[in-house]
Amino acid sequence: MTNSFASTDSVKSALSAQKYIASDEIATIVYLAQKLEKPLLTEGPAGVGKTELAKAIAGATGRELIRLQCYEGLDESKALYEWEYSKQLLYTQLLRDKLNDTLGKADSLAEAADRLANEEDIFFSDRFLLQRPLLRAILCDAPTVLLIDEIDRADAEFEAFLLEVLSDFQVSVPELGTLTAKYKPFVVLTSNNTRELSEALKRRCLYLFIDYPSLEEELAVVRLKVPELNPKLARQAVEFVQKLRKTDMRKSPSISETLDWANALVSLNAKNIDKETLEDTISVLLKHEADLQKAKRQIINPPPPPTSRPRPDDFGRFSGN
Amino acid sequence: MESRILQLITALRASGVRVSLAESSEAFSAVDLMGIQDREHFRLSLRSTLIKDVRDLPVFDKLFPLFFGQGQPPMMGGNPMDDMTPEEAQTLANALRQFTDQLRQRMERLMNGEPLTKSELEALAQMVGLNQTDDLRYQNWMAQRMMRALAFPEVQEALRELMEQLQQMGMNKERVEQLRELVQQNLQGMQEQINQFAGQRIAENLSEQKPNENIDGLMNRPFNALSDADKKLLQREVKRLAAMLRTRIALRQKRAKSGQLDPKATIRANLKYQGVPMEIKYRDRVRKPKLVVICDISTSMRFCSELMLSFLFALQGQVRKTNAFAFIDHLEYISDEFTGSNADEAIASVLWHMPSGYYNTDLGWSLNDFNNEYMDTLNGQTTLIVVGDGRNNYNDPRLDIFSLMSRRAARTIWLNPEPPYLWHGDSDMPKYAALCSNVLKVSNLKELTEAVDQLLSG
Repeated sequence: MTNSFASTDSVKSALSAQKYIASDEIATIVYLAQKLEKPLLTEGPAGVGKTELAKAIAGATGRELIRLQCYEGLDESKALYEWEYSKQLLYTQLLRDKLNDTLGKADSLAEAADRLANEEDIFFSDRFLLQRPLLRAILCDAPTVLLIDEIDRADAEFEAFLLEVLSDFQVSVPELGTLTAKYKPFVVLTSNNTRELSEALKRRCLYLFIDYPSLEEELAVVRLKVPELNPKLARQAVEFVQKLRKTDMRKSPSISETLDWANALVSLNAKNIDKETLEDTISVLLKHEADLQKAKRQIINPPPPPTSRPRPDDFGRFSGN
Repeated sequence: MESRILQLITALRASGVRVSLAESSEAFSAVDLMGIQDREHFRLSLRSTLIKDVRDLPVFDKLFPLFFGQGQPPMMGGNPMDDMTPEEAQTLANALRQFTDQLRQRMERLMNGEPLTKSELEALAQMVGLNQTDDLRYQNWMAQRMMRALAFPEVQEALRELMEQLQQMGMNKERVEQLRELVQQNLQGMQEQINQFAGQRIAENLSEQKPNENIDGLMNRPFNALSDADKKLLQREVKRLAAMLRTRIALRQKRAKSGQLDPKATIRANLKYQGVPMEIKYRDRVRKPKLVVICDISTSMRFCSELMLSFLFALQGQVRKTNAFAFIDHLEYISDEFTGSNADEAIASVLWHMPSGYYNTDLGWSLNDFNNEYMDTLNGQTTLIVVGDGRNNYNDPRLDIFSLMSRRAARTIWLNPEPPYLWHGDSDMPKYAALCSNVLKVSNLKELTEAVDQLLSG
């Protein structure tokens, strides 16, 4: 198992060994990100496999995956480090005797304070540092893959805080100084584009936009992940999903939903995608009531094709009177 | 090669993509790494380093082939004269004789399948003013003008006639068909050539454009004196200002934290000190304003409202809730359109389904709409913002409703591009102003920025 990729082709084969089908585009940019040691910012609709890509990279390179899930209100103490106060407290209790030994022989208060000062570094050392994902990725003894998931959910301030980590792979802990990474982690950031990321953050990353896959690509994914589904049915299913994506839905079905659906079809032992199966299972694909109704109206029970005679109001509108 | 990449970067910048110095140097290291043998790898190394926004991808996809196209002139169909029998050539020459010299030359040229030379293209470019064009949207139009300058429509017509003539003169029908196809191919080749040339030239013009430095001047110029190009520039500036304001406001909101003691949080935070209250926790008092914005988007006010809306939606994180309305002759709720991340598109869509008419602004009626449906959006925590010039075309101003609104809202702020000494004629501004807590004059971007800043920090 190697820790890095040798060429774009090896990226592709290594990722497909992890059951991730990478297009040329993805493979090239992943290779580039690794070579330039730059974070990779992936954007795209929900459920096209952005997170999956990071997992696959970790699997393919045999690195540990460290994941930081972002959410509103995420701050340093949850993302970077925190002092383990209770442990510090416990240690002071347990070491009370030892402290008495050290301090007992002191003649004056000032001397005791000096002695204590000599020892106090212990209490702000690595021992009591609770490593959160970012710090763990930086201090890890082996190269890692750091996944910062859904960065667009975190606040703008947190983004600013990430900049130091992303550009220099180092963090400053006031009590300890600056900690620099022994091995630069491979950083993957994902964003669903719910808000605009800052220019500064974008500037430090390579950009990869992952869109919904083409029919053939999606079919390949389904065949790979749900091999039990028979090929004919798989094609029908994927064609149906692609058709759904073309209609205007509040939330288009993603690849993960296609896979759920494929699994559902397998477990229901469906022989064919007919009207009945569709009506039973379509809720796996569409998660909004309005979308469901729309799909049922338009695709499952399409209205009879309209007659070609123009309606009177159309006529009236264009006739100029 | 390097200068070509630099040209592409300048052209990208000129079409509104932000490319920083760090990014361009990044692009070079990426190209160094991936080499330039594989065109696809080359394209992706440039794209992933230079483009950081989905919306900019199409710009890149359009510009890239113009700078790194295949470079060779498009394929011509070939020369039909090559395999003609002497009799056929004679017939053709006879048939050609009836056209004017100029047309004949052009047609012969097409039949020979000669592409246009560099100097001919230059001359054409000179003629249609291609060298002054620096917007890719004009590519097709320019190409068409160049074709017209070459008398393409006439040549095509003449060719059709020629073919008929040839048939009448007894040339084999299949041969004529063959000839027609070849000529058609040559014609398409030439069109392609012209189109490519136009695109490349525009792209080069783009890359020579000087970066604009007079943004400060624009900030102070009144809205109604702005050209379309200025507006585009300002839109970009608004984004930058919004980002700046956002951080400023976020900081200020954070600092205003000294609130009441929060006993629960204090106890929880101090469990680690065995319950000795070492850290005192306070209730956060982040006062994010709740806004109701009513924008006049009639022709006179449109630009101001547009910028105001882009501002507000760029600042969304700093505002608890915004309910935005637009009106011309009636009121419409437009917040739904702004749920995505792209304010430009949202504004365009609002302007699309509310086209402006002539002198039909009616705030009174719009206020009536508000009263009927949306009065509950106003409460003691909301700030009501009206963006408009208060010119009501002598319609009923409905002061009763407006006074009710301003009593319900915590603050009422009116942003008006006109200074008080212009408030006469059909302006109902003096009457409305009496009911507002604050009337601010915003006639340029600088004033608008200050107004927004004041709004969100007060």
